[in-house]
Amino acid sequence: MSRGRPPLRMTRPGVLLTVIAALTVLTTPASAQIRIEVPNPGEAGVPIAISPLSNPDSHAERQIGDTFARTIARDLTLSGLFRVLDRRAYIEGPEEFVLDRINFQNWSVLDALALVKGGFWLDGERLTIEARLFDVTQQKQLGGRRYIGHKRDVRRMAHRFADQIMLFLTGEEGPFNSKIAFISNRVDGRVKEVYVTDLSGSEVRRVTQDRTLSLGPSWSPTGAELLFISYRQGGPHSFKLDLATGRSARLDARIAYGASWSPDGAHIAVSLDQNGNADLFLLSSQGRLIRRLTHHSGIDVSPAWSPDGRQLAFCSSRSGSPQIYVMDIETGKSKRITFQSAYNTDPAWSPKGDRIAYTSRSGGFRVMAIDPNGGEATHIVRGEHPSWSPDGRYLAVTRRGRLYLASRDGQSIQQLTGGSGNDTSPAWSPRLP
Amino acid sequence: MHSNKFYGGWLISVLLLSLGLIGCPKQSPTGMTYGTTSSTGSGTSGMDETEIGEGDRIQDRVQQDGEGGPLQDVFFSYDSFELSEEARQTLQANADWLQSNAEAKVEIEGHCDERGTSEYNLALGAKRARAAQDYLTTLGVPAERLSVISYGEELPQCTDANESCWQRNRRGHFSVLR
Repeated sequence: MSRGRPPLRMTRPGVLLTVIAALTVLTTPASAQIRIEVPNPGEAGVPIAISPLSNPDSHAERQIGDTFARTIARDLTLSGLFRVLDRRAYIEGPEEFVLDRINFQNWSVLDALALVKGGFWLDGERLTIEARLFDVTQQKQLGGRRYIGHKRDVRRMAHRFADQIMLFLTGEEGPFNSKIAFISNRVDGRVKEVYVTDLSGSEVRRVTQDRTLSLGPSWSPTGAELLFISYRQGGPHSFKLDLATGRSARLDARIAYGASWSPDGAHIAVSLDQNGNADLFLLSSQGRLIRRLTHHSGIDVSPAWSPDGRQLAFCSSRSGSPQIYVMDIETGKSKRITFQSAYNTDPAWSPKGDRIAYTSRSGGFRVMAIDPNGGEATHIVRGEHPSWSPDGRYLAVTRRGRLYLASRDGQSIQQLTGGSGNDTSPAWSPRLP
Repeated sequence: MHSNKFYGGWLISVLLLSLGLIGCPKQSPTGMTYGTTSSTGSGTSGMDETEIGEGDRIQDRVQQDGEGGPLQDVFFSYDSFELSEEARQTLQANADWLQSNAEAKVEIEGHCDERGTSEYNLALGAKRARAAQDYLTTLGVPAERLSVISYGEELPQCTDANESCWQRNRRGHFSVLR
């Protein structure tokens, strides 16, 4: 009679309301036989069918199963690695989602190579989701996960499962359970606040209510805090915002233009006013001055850490025009790496360390990428202010007041935000818990 | 006011794991046994109220902008904070006014056009404001009467995409403080 009851009932439900647990089912990633060839982004993607989740208990709350499927479909489309098959063509309904009850013929005739099926159960507000990925040709399960949490967390569960699908099929987890911080004047055109959105663009929340100008958000490596620049105490200062409490505090008393956290969380590199000129400084994560990093009459802004925390890419006008430089933090030695345009700013170091993306202006703005040692720069996409996804496969950029997500080769691009106001300065979070 | 446990929830799941609460193999709703467990984060996401900052001054300032006032704007070339001959003449006139209004204090704002990137323009706007401040002090205006602030490209005078508009935005603006 209670076939559909969620497991784990012995745990305290009041506590479990806040917990999502993902449980490995049968196959662990290490032992998964990856038989589906995943193409490079931009090539024709793997055809995948994503069935809405069924609710074996009732037909109530069907939108939960739909939301889960739609969110995964959007993530996988964005990945550029998949072609999500139109669900109106599906022959088999969502009911059968256990291996021995799926008729794989119903999916192979649609040319699906991969199939997502699953079910969900509601116990009050508590939601349990089981989702599985199948190889249609081999008729076997490639992986599965169970998620338990509050029913409002359905999109997060979907993003996490999309990350797992990427892991099962490419060997590397996807970036979809992450967020993007950005600046927008959507509420009042003259006021810029910091916002945070999930990667479906459907859960956008404002995290400052300062009614002034806020600029340049940057994540702590845990994803728990943001640095940003604010005019709330007069001239632009660097602030640190705790996302859980909403409280923010000034990091340093000096005029600041931008700041970023070191990968280990111990330090913050910041561009501060030094007698009327912007120079880079190294602070502790609490804002204590450790040392000055640049001593030059040119503008030095936009510090971006290498993933090993030993180097900083930054923008300097010391040659007469803004260009990208790379500094060894220990020795303080800097090397210019961009020469191709008279206006190169906003460096962003890829999480794998292999590329530095930046904004280049020649005519309009475009996002370019270059080897950290210099060399030939490659065009990625029109837009500005690049920020890498935590897996290094994607870039968030801004273009004409909208945020876009692009694959790192620029072949696949999708709009993330829309509506009134200008959305700028995207900052992609690390993978979130 | 909602509480936001979004970023703290992993602590709870770690706690639960360490208590063994969600660690054991379990029977699933479909009758399959789940072997290993990996825990993930948790929680609710909601809007938290934040403190309201001191600054409504941006808005106040935007309303003042364009009023003209006794002091004239100075204009700059693209990606430059150099003072042109015309800018120097304007600053001379502004200095004369400041000499005859000896109690007036002025905030010099540096602004940029949209054809740059936000953070670089913030630093460039500071250089522009500073260049105007330095020149006024060489003309005899005491430095302590002149403060500087950069607004980068954040408060444009006009938003058309043409050179005459961009030129209007690349400015040093003078606000007499009361």
